[in-house]
Amino acid sequence: MIQTQTQAAGGAAPPLLEIRNARIVYDHAVEAVREVSLSVPQGSVVALLGSNGAGKSTLLKALTGTLALEDGEVEKGAILLDGEDLGRTPTDRIVARGVSLVPEGRRLFANLTVEDNITMGGHLKGAADLARLRAQVYDLFPRLAERRRQIAGYLSGGEQQMVAVGRALMAEPRLLALDEPSLGLAPLIVDQIYATVARLNAEFGMTILLVEQNAMQAMEIADTVYIMENGRIVLDGPAEQMRGNLDVQEYYLGFSGGGERRSFRDVKHYKRRKRWLS
Amino acid sequence: MNYLIELLVSGLAVGAVYGLIAMSFAIIFKATGLLNFAQGEMGMITAYVAFSIASATDGNPWLTAAGAIVFSVLFALAVERIVIRPMVDEPILARIMTTIGLAVIFRSGTMLVWDALPHDMGLAAGSALVDLGGVRVRGAQIGVVVALAVAVAAMLAFFRYSRFGIAMRAVASDDATARLMGVKTARVQQAAWGAAAVMSGIAGALFAIAWELSPSLYALGLKSFPATILGGLDSVVGSAFGGVVIGITENLVGGYLSPGLKEVAGFVIIIAILMVRPYGLFGEKRIERL
Repeated sequence: MIQTQTQAAGGAAPPLLEIRNARIVYDHAVEAVREVSLSVPQGSVVALLGSNGAGKSTLLKALTGTLALEDGEVEKGAILLDGEDLGRTPTDRIVARGVSLVPEGRRLFANLTVEDNITMGGHLKGAADLARLRAQVYDLFPRLAERRRQIAGYLSGGEQQMVAVGRALMAEPRLLALDEPSLGLAPLIVDQIYATVARLNAEFGMTILLVEQNAMQAMEIADTVYIMENGRIVLDGPAEQMRGNLDVQEYYLGFSGGGERRSFRDVKHYKRRKRWLS
Repeated sequence: MNYLIELLVSGLAVGAVYGLIAMSFAIIFKATGLLNFAQGEMGMITAYVAFSIASATDGNPWLTAAGAIVFSVLFALAVERIVIRPMVDEPILARIMTTIGLAVIFRSGTMLVWDALPHDMGLAAGSALVDLGGVRVRGAQIGVVVALAVAVAAMLAFFRYSRFGIAMRAVASDDATARLMGVKTARVQQAAWGAAAVMSGIAGALFAIAWELSPSLYALGLKSFPATILGGLDSVVGSAFGGVVIGITENLVGGYLSPGLKEVAGFVIIIAILMVRPYGLFGEKRIERL
């Protein structure tokens, strides 16, 4: 909705995030991402799917300016926020410009309380904003309000994921990136997290970049889907269309021809031509 | 009875010196994951600078204190910026070796700039004897205990209530993620170096006033580091407690058993405690759960 409005009004307004022909290399030698282009329009939900080692997390590190910590570098191409190349912008500037990441594995500050974890997310905010933002987070996750004084490391996995999302929201992001939010969580909890993400997009117009192996869930809330393999985007398109794509169904959603659900294990061992490679 | 009290009081004073330096080790470790083995030497240099200021100002205690504190912070920030920060991505052993190298340079530098003779600090207020209910102590001994109490209270408040203190704990817990929140880790590390310099500088200068100023002051660092381990490497407040425990134990053993056992006593306690609590008395246990 918001997307069509801004595009209609602004004409050629640049997407909130655009990755243009990015090639990312670690240690000047190991190529993790090659020639990847991707666009995340304002107000949309974009899912980036792919298995382990496809290069998804590397893209997120490039987006948040943390590649250099691991000797990684965007060697070619560009990552543009509001049409502006991020270049070597330091992480705190990127956060200030509205990009928040919920990192893979949640990465809570295990020895800090829930409240201190959440407060950390608003590190760049003034004291006056903190109280208001915390109230919003507790409103979104009432369970966290009950547990605010507890040590974050002892929460259940689902509660920890809520803290991780709440913490990222404290920066009032325009673009919320989530790295494998469903990893290691019970299906019911995953549903809740996804419902919250969908709500952030629908109610607050927040732009979402969802990086997942759990394709099924991600496709349900995404507008656009990109599929990555071995550092390349191999397939992309509107989520509707991708859900109907036979290969996607087979390799990522676990359906066989009859439409019945198959286990990931079967799919993995089921050799079949990938149509997009031919 | 009076003998016991005297041993306790002077043990508390020397323990407060250990405690302040131990807190310096702990705060730098907490913020940067680095052990600064030049901490004792940095405290010693601050004491020598205080000595020079006191000589130049006819023993004005206020000017001496202010000058020494400002110097200690500037000195630490310079060391951090010039030597430590460029090595931030290097292997931890290389970084620790760098601080050991700095320690040696600072030790000989001190003897070059000043000399190797013991000096009196020339601050009458600090070395005057005060009668505390029959126990006579020097002003600086009271001063160092007060300084430790103030430092402990300040650190408790800092880590619990100040946003910057919470950010420092977050950096200690997971610095890569703290960066994702917009924390400038370099700022946090500078603050830790500055705070450490003030605490070990106060410890060094007050020790020099109460006892004497000499180039063997650096050994305070060697005595204080075990106190940090005892309290818990990442526990700034626990380190203060560790220092006091070691100071008092040393004095009691030296006074009642044999002066020769004094040096050993602290380490016996440390080994015994670490065998029961490997993270130290107050160290944060790594919470591992998936």
